[in-house]
Formats: sequence, C-alpha cells, structure tokens
Amino acid sequence: MSHGYQFVGWNRQKKLYDLTLLGAVLSYLLLFIVGSIVLHPDAVIDMIILRALGTCAFVLLHVILAIGPLARLDRRWLPLLYNRRHMGVTMFTLALLHGLLSLLTYHGFGDTHPLVSLFTSNTRYDSLSQFPFQPLGFFALILLFLMAATSHDFWLATLTPPIWKTLHMGVYVAYGLLLGHVGFGFLQTETHPALFGLLAAGCLTLLALHLAAAGKETKLDTQDGFQQDGEGYLKLCEVLEIPNNRGRMFFVGGDRIAVFRYDGRVSAISNACQHQNGPLGEGRVIDGLVTCPWHGFQYDPATGASPPPFTEKVPTFNLKVLNGSVWVHPNPNPPGTYVNPGLVEEPGHA
Amino acid sequence: MFEQLVNWIFVAVGGYLALGLGFAVVFVLRGVRELDPTARERASVGFRLAILPASTVFWPLLLRRWLSGQHEPPEECSPHRCAACSASCEQKDVV
Ligand code: HEM
Ligand code: FES
Repeated sequence: MSHGYQFVGWNRQKKLYDLTLLGAVLSYLLLFIVGSIVLHPDAVIDMIILRALGTCAFVLLHVILAIGPLARLDRRWLPLLYNRRHMGVTMFTLALLHGLLSLLTYHGFGDTHPLVSLFTSNTRYDSLSQFPFQPLGFFALILLFLMAATSHDFWLATLTPPIWKTLHMGVYVAYGLLLGHVGFGFLQTETHPALFGLLAAGCLTLLALHLAAAGKETKLDTQDGFQQDGEGYLKLCEVLEIPNNRGRMFFVGGDRIAVFRYDGRVSAISNACQHQNGPLGEGRVIDGLVTCPWHGFQYDPATGASPPPFTEKVPTFNLKVLNGSVWVHPNPNPPGTYVNPGLVEEPGHA
Repeated sequence: MFEQLVNWIFVAVGGYLALGLGFAVVFVLRGVRELDPTARERASVGFRLAILPASTVFWPLLLRRWLSGQHEPPEECSPHRCAACSASCEQKDVV
C-alpha cells in the first residue's frame, strides 16, 4: 500500500483524457441547448437546460456501462476502462445539476419542502401513464452519489474491495431506476415516439454487450479437466502458446492464475493485482516485471512481489516445464514466495 | 399521513447526515492519518476534500475503526490468498 494515493492521479495521458471528456460534455450541452432554441423558439430555457443535463448524464451512463464489456471483448478499450472513474464523477455532477434544477423548477415554490413535495405532489403510484417518475430519478441519484463519493482509492481500501465492488454494482440498479425515470417521464411529456425506440436501442445494446462478454468469461472460468501428474501438477498449455513477454490466464485453485513467458523462463502468479484486482495476465512483462494493464503496478514474476520500495505481493505457484509443456501446481504459495522459474527449452532439443 | 411519513424520513436522514458531517470534518483533519498508512505518508487538501462526502455517509464505520485503534485497512482475501495463508488470515480482520 505504499504506492501512495497520488500515484494513480495525474499524467499527461489522463489530462488529455479528462480534457476530451470535458470537451465532449460541453459540446453536447451547447449543441443541445442551441439546437432546442432554434427548433423550439418558444420553449422555456429552464426546461431546455434541464433536459440537456439529464440526457447528457444518461448518455454518459450508457458509455460507462458499455466500456466494461467492450474492454473484455477487445483490449484496445482498456485505457478507457481504467479512466472510467472520472467519467462516473462527471456523470454524477451532470445528474446532480439536472436533479437540483428539476427540484427548483417543479417543487421550489410551494409550502412543502421540495424534497417532500418530490414524493407527495404526485401519488399515482398505481398508474402506468401517470406514474411518479421523479422519485425514481431521486433514488438513482442517491446511488450515483454513493459511487462518485467512494470513487477515491481510499474508499476502496477502507471499505475493502468486495464491499466496494458490491456498492459499485449499484450502477446497474441505478440504470434500471433511470430506465423507469426516463421511460415514464416520456409517457408524461409530449415526446416523439422515436425517443422510445432510442431508449430501447440503448438498453438492448448494453444487454448484448454484457451477454457477449459474459460468454467469453465463462469459457475461461470453466477451464477444468487439465491433465494431472503424480505430484498434483496440472498441464496447462505448451510453452510456445504463451507469447514472449506476455501472459495467459487459467482457472486454477478456485481463481485465475497468470502464466508468463519472459527471458526464456516461465512463471505463474495469481492473476489479481493487489491494487484493484486488475487482470495481471492481460499485462505485459516490461524490464522483467509483470506490469498491470490497469494502472501499471509491477511484480517480479518469480516472487510475485513489487520491486522495492513498494510492498505489494501476490501469491505464486510452483511450476515446471517438461517437453515444452507448462505444468503448474494448483496450491498457491504465500504472497511474495520465490519460485524457481521453468526454463524454456530450445525448440528441437528435447 | 403519507406526507408526514416522508417528512419524518427526511428529518431522520438529515439528522444522521448532520452528525456525519460534524464527524467527517474532524475525521479528515485528524482521524484519517491514524487509520490509513497511505494518508499517514501524505494527505493533501484535495485528498481530504475528496473523502469528505463519503465520510459523512459512512461515519459509523470510520468511527468504529478509529475507536478500535486499527492502523491499517483490513486485508482482502481472494481464494488464492486464503488458500496460501489460511492460518495467518484467521488472525487478521479479513473480509
Ligand atoms: C432528484 C432527482 C431527479 C429529478 C427530480 C428529476 C426530474 C426530472 C424531470 C422533471 C424530468 C422531465 C423533464 C421534461 O419535462 O422533459 C426529467 C427527465 C429526465 N431525467 Fe431526470 N430527474 C432526476 C434525476 C435524474 C438522473 C439521476 C438522471 C440520469 C443520470 C436523469 C435523467 C433524465 C433524463 C435522460 C430525462 C429525459 C429528458 C427529456 O425528457 O428529454 N434524471 N427528470
Ligand atoms: S489494478 Fe491498478 S495497477 Fe493493477
């Protein structure tokens, strides 16, 4: 834990990324607002801004939800994946402004407190066409707030990754609530039917991407039935099936391991990066160190330990190379335990 | 009736968050350095502000840890980590 919270913070690529994000958001808002004023000169400006902010947040949420499966299907999306948190915070900010403006416009002028009025001004909870869609947006906003507020690494460490991840799975609940918020909202405002089509298209695209990515994951996690020798070693693959300075992932010992070939040697370590469980098997060996594809934490493949002064460690696995095949023992060694790398035999001599 | 219920819920949540904000201010100024090794090394103003909102929400958790005198966040246990160190894992506060 000594990389420091600043480590993952700022570099040139990230600044460029944040500027692009900001530029895209501002262009969208500007286009939406100017376009609406031109097309509907008599529309109220509050309403236009309110809609611009709401739709921008909702579109951004689609992008955020699409990145995860896209990165699993094609590694070229990875840079977007690990910069996703700034996108999430931006999306929350837009949604918050939309929510505040709505509260002010629709509930800010009565005797009841705006938040109470949000829940009580329309109580047709038994109606489909008049369903109170605004509370759905409110609950989604609460979830988005919890995720944005805990997006800092401090919270990942403090809440622990399993709880943090469960909390951040709430994004799917928020998305469901927002489908209701937007869908029921469309029913109650004069809306072009094409917008329902757009809503459905967005939802179906996300569903298809997630199903496709899930199909790929299950294939990896059910890789069972490896050949086993007398000492319990499992035959995973041929050495030459692992690209040089790269890894391959297998499901061994109840979780994924990553097997690397580098410098004529082969080593196996647990696949989950200690930072945020990034997939080490998708990383590269750079200067003899396994480098996590997400934020670049590094590990010595033979020991599973980060080079000093860093203190991160992952479990290692005993391994041998026989006749060009990689055999790995499924019992993990304590994190940071040195294991003799297997030696890659030159093709041709047995 | 319904309106009163909604009103009470907001009063209760508001009270919880008001207490939380009071705690959070003290926590980001003092407590965070005791609880978290990385923050001990370096805690910028930006960092303190960034963790303030969620400290307002999760204050009972932070308060409990602060009072218990823990100086590290609990360690995560993946299947591999647990299998490798099941003995030492049981002694630590592991999730
Ligand atoms: C307190 C929370 C919220 C309130 C009070 C609220 C209120 C509203 C209202 C009144 C409308 C209808 C505007 C119209 O007449 O066209 C609306 C539409 C919409 N809202 Fe929200 N909202 C909230 C949260 C959210 C959140 C968190 C999101 C998304 C991230 C969101 C996305 C949208 C979208 C996409 C529309 C459709 C815009 C349109 O009709 O063209 N809202 N919301
Ligand atoms: S998950 Fe962040 S560096 Fe590996």
